[in-house]
Amino acid sequence: MIVPLIKGLQITLKHLFKKPITLMYPEEKPDVAPNFRGLHALKVSHNKAKCVACYLCPTVCPAKCITVEAGEDANHDKYAAKYEIDMLRCIFCGYCVEACPVDALGMTQTFELANYKRSDFVFTKERLLEKK
Amino acid sequence: MVNLTVDDKQIAVERDATIYDAAKAAGIRIPILCHDKKLHPFGGCRMCLVEVEQMKGRLIPACTTPVSEGMIVRTMTDEIIKARKLVLELLLLKHPLDCPVCDAAGDCDLQNLTYEYKVDANNFTDEKFHWEIDYDNPLIERDQNRCIHCGKCARICDEIVSYGAYSFVNRGIEAKIGTPFDGKLDCEYCGSCISVCPVGALIAKPFKFKARWWALNKVKSVCSYCGTGCQLTLGVKDDKVLTTIYDEDQGFHNGQLCGRGRFGYQFVNSDERLTTPLVRKNGTLQPVGWDEALELISTKLQEARKNDPSAVAALATPRLTNEELFLFRKLFKDVVGTDSIDHSAGYAHEALTAGLKESFGITASPSQIVDIQKSDLLLVIKTDAYETHPVIGFEINLGVKRKGVDLRIISDKTGKLAKLPKAVNYLHKPGCELLLVNALAKVIVDENLAAESAAAITGLDAYKGMLAGVDLNQVAAVTGVSLESIRELATAYAKAEKALILLPIGLGYPGHGKELAQALSNLALLAGKIGQEGSGLLVLGEKNNSQGAADLAIHPTAGGRDAAAIIDGCASGAVKILYIAGENPVVAYPDRAKVEKALDNAGFVVVLDLFLTDSAKRADVVLPVKSFAEKCGTFTSVGRHVQRIRKAIKAVGESRSDREVLADIIARLTGEGVAADSATLFKQIGCYSGVNYDALGDAGAIYPVNVSPKFVPVVGSVPATEEGKYALLTGSALYHCGTMSLSGVGPMLVCPEQYIELGRVDAGKLGVNDGDRLKVRSASGELSLAVKVGLRMPEGVVFSPYHFADASINSITSGKSVTWVSLSK
Ligand code: SF4
Ligand code: SF4
Ligand code: SF4
Ligand code: SF4
Ligand code: SF4
Ligand code: FES
Repeated sequence: MIVPLIKGLQITLKHLFKKPITLMYPEEKPDVAPNFRGLHALKVSHNKAKCVACYLCPTVCPAKCITVEAGEDANHDKYAAKYEIDMLRCIFCGYCVEACPVDALGMTQTFELANYKRSDFVFTKERLLEKK
Repeated sequence: MVNLTVDDKQIAVERDATIYDAAKAAGIRIPILCHDKKLHPFGGCRMCLVEVEQMKGRLIPACTTPVSEGMIVRTMTDEIIKARKLVLELLLLKHPLDCPVCDAAGDCDLQNLTYEYKVDANNFTDEKFHWEIDYDNPLIERDQNRCIHCGKCARICDEIVSYGAYSFVNRGIEAKIGTPFDGKLDCEYCGSCISVCPVGALIAKPFKFKARWWALNKVKSVCSYCGTGCQLTLGVKDDKVLTTIYDEDQGFHNGQLCGRGRFGYQFVNSDERLTTPLVRKNGTLQPVGWDEALELISTKLQEARKNDPSAVAALATPRLTNEELFLFRKLFKDVVGTDSIDHSAGYAHEALTAGLKESFGITASPSQIVDIQKSDLLLVIKTDAYETHPVIGFEINLGVKRKGVDLRIISDKTGKLAKLPKAVNYLHKPGCELLLVNALAKVIVDENLAAESAAAITGLDAYKGMLAGVDLNQVAAVTGVSLESIRELATAYAKAEKALILLPIGLGYPGHGKELAQALSNLALLAGKIGQEGSGLLVLGEKNNSQGAADLAIHPTAGGRDAAAIIDGCASGAVKILYIAGENPVVAYPDRAKVEKALDNAGFVVVLDLFLTDSAKRADVVLPVKSFAEKCGTFTSVGRHVQRIRKAIKAVGESRSDREVLADIIARLTGEGVAADSATLFKQIGCYSGVNYDALGDAGAIYPVNVSPKFVPVVGSVPATEEGKYALLTGSALYHCGTMSLSGVGPMLVCPEQYIELGRVDAGKLGVNDGDRLKVRSASGELSLAVKVGLRMPEGVVFSPYHFADASINSITSGKSVTWVSLSK
């Protein structure tokens, strides 16, 4: 009868001296995998967003949370005059990234997206631009 | 019929069918890039290659190869797939892979086929094209780098539009589609080339980058500009009409449109649209709620209804739906009790409402648009028929070029129609149409060419008696058309087995009224041309529902005031309440100063419009109404064609449809509600009892008529001339229709302002060039107008369109077919 009791205690004691699994978030931050699908980022090249406003990401998005409006720049090229993602609706599936024909969109490791107001969850183009 | 086998399916097709047609009839799809059912086979792209048992050893193009008896065709074998892949690889070799930024993506034949045939690598390499892109054109952006040389743009512009803006230039790999001398593209802007371009080499500039093809909701409707009644597909996104979409299976015109229909849609979502009712308070128009505005109108109408209904008058635009016109008539004739209603009939539509009514017993043409190509001889009154109804113009082009129709034109100017192959234009002095038509009839009688059927028609003797008084020599001298020409035309017309007369009418053509319509009816009856296919008389109503307004009798029928008398009545104070539904009399009716004064003088003016027009600015109450894209209903176009329009977007602002407004006022006046849905209303329209609303579908229906013919002699008179002055003719510009196209954006980009058009000789005499300004002075006023020099106008005759609100031509015209003006720098 005493034997199982000791066995149990043994396990407890073993764990007592192991490295803890729990993370003391927010003091401690986790290591996020490189292919983690967090907040989107619009990639930048030659000092402007690579996005050419092809509308493929809003088309593929299952949550319908991307809004793109195309504009014509001085060189008659197409660019995203408006690019917005409503993070409240985004399901972080990454389809948009996959759909992008010009590799203009990525997903970062940023996952801390909590905020106070609904409107703060709408990420405009400026907020989405890749920080270098 | 020829029997053949396509992919193991036995089929029988017409002798002149191609393999492509046969496969299509059997429901087998053969991929095409350069073929179009409207155009002559071209055989340029080799996408449609198929295998024919009897011609083993090579692949043959399906789109150009006629069928033959016993042919055994395979449309999909490994070898064919390989060949098609090769075709695509070669096309993609120099093609920029622009799909992400190319407006054609999603609706691009090259893209779709590349996907279908899984062309994901290329066995060849070469540099891409580096052609300069034409960004400057206001409506058509041309990127030759994306062109696949299918030639469809050049072919449609030549074969159907008959303009010929493009052709292939250079050879071999250097070949491209170019304009003459690689100059600017400045054409009719019908957009046909854009619609047939299988790729994104030609795109509609106003829609550039606005939305993706797949994101658009496609709503089938009917064009709301001219009376041709072209079917239209609106591209809608987020409650905005963003573009018009080409659908080659729509209507008699196979989806082709003119520039107004294709590029003139932007009035629908214009920022200038009225959004709330306005009521004049302390001299200015101020926004109010609907209830206040409607109560005010109802109170005024209720008072008048009790005291003096004849002091109420109402004008409706023939752009309203049949259902709205029905309620309009009901409100004013039945409820208020005034006969003074009109749809500018007195000015523009009396050819139908009075002319044909008397001659044929109906207010519509006995013929239809499809008769044009079935005819042997077309007699067109004025080359302007092309400008007023461009897509009917395409039908004429096709008739002449493909069916060998003998085209004769009686006109006071030359113009596009006159340039068609073998077309004969009988150029006459302005205002002489009636004299000429009667002279033709006289020749027919004199030379015993009259049809036997004419003898049974009432009034023949009186008519012949009147013709006896026609002096052919005098007519020749006055009109400037030689006696031989008159004889020759009359004989050709009478002898043609099938002959059709086309008469365009509208606010710009005051001479095309009751008398001319009757003279033409007489002529057709005399020659026995009424009642058979491909023959007869087709009166081309100006606006989208001109025919409906005539059918619904939106004009005085019991001695009331017509439009002209209503304006006079306002001026004299006899008309105290004027309700204007969509008309813009200040700009469109003759004698602007008079109309302005009349509106200012009328006690209470209500205007319902999309915009704050020059007429609305003078109103006491202005109500914002819905455009054709925001409501349902029916329009009746040329040739009695009833078609449905469909709601595409939510109402702009607080606007309501005329139908809702009229039903509301009727309810307020009578205390009883009225049904206001289109289906119920349509079924109440007596003259359309032969049409089943529920079965209208996309195609619409042509309502039947019974012609009870009668000769109504009308005597022509020699038009007055003024020595040393120019004859000013008004009419329609190709890019505009009525005054609505002013808000259509597209039309204004290519034809922005009032102009005066004159011939080279006169321009030389006056020492002016294109773009200079001329002072145009008539008895009633003076305008300074931009000069347009062209080949259309004969010496001594000038032309100016009537659409524009600024420097509107009605400031110097007064409703006569010819206004004599003096010109100076
Ligand atoms: S798919 Fe890429 S290029 Fe296209 S709109 Fe989205 S981010 Fe821009
Ligand atoms: S024309 Fe077609 S294939 Fe070419 S870039 Fe445009 S969409 Fe792509
Ligand atoms: S818009 Fe019409 S007229 Fe102009 S080039 Fe194209 S097809 Fe020809
Ligand atoms: S511009 Fe378009 S329609 Fe014209 S040849 Fe090129 S691909 Fe064909
Ligand atoms: S304006 Fe007339 S001809 Fe042009 S598309 Fe509209 S209905 Fe057709
Ligand atoms: S479609 Fe037959 S050759 Fe182009």
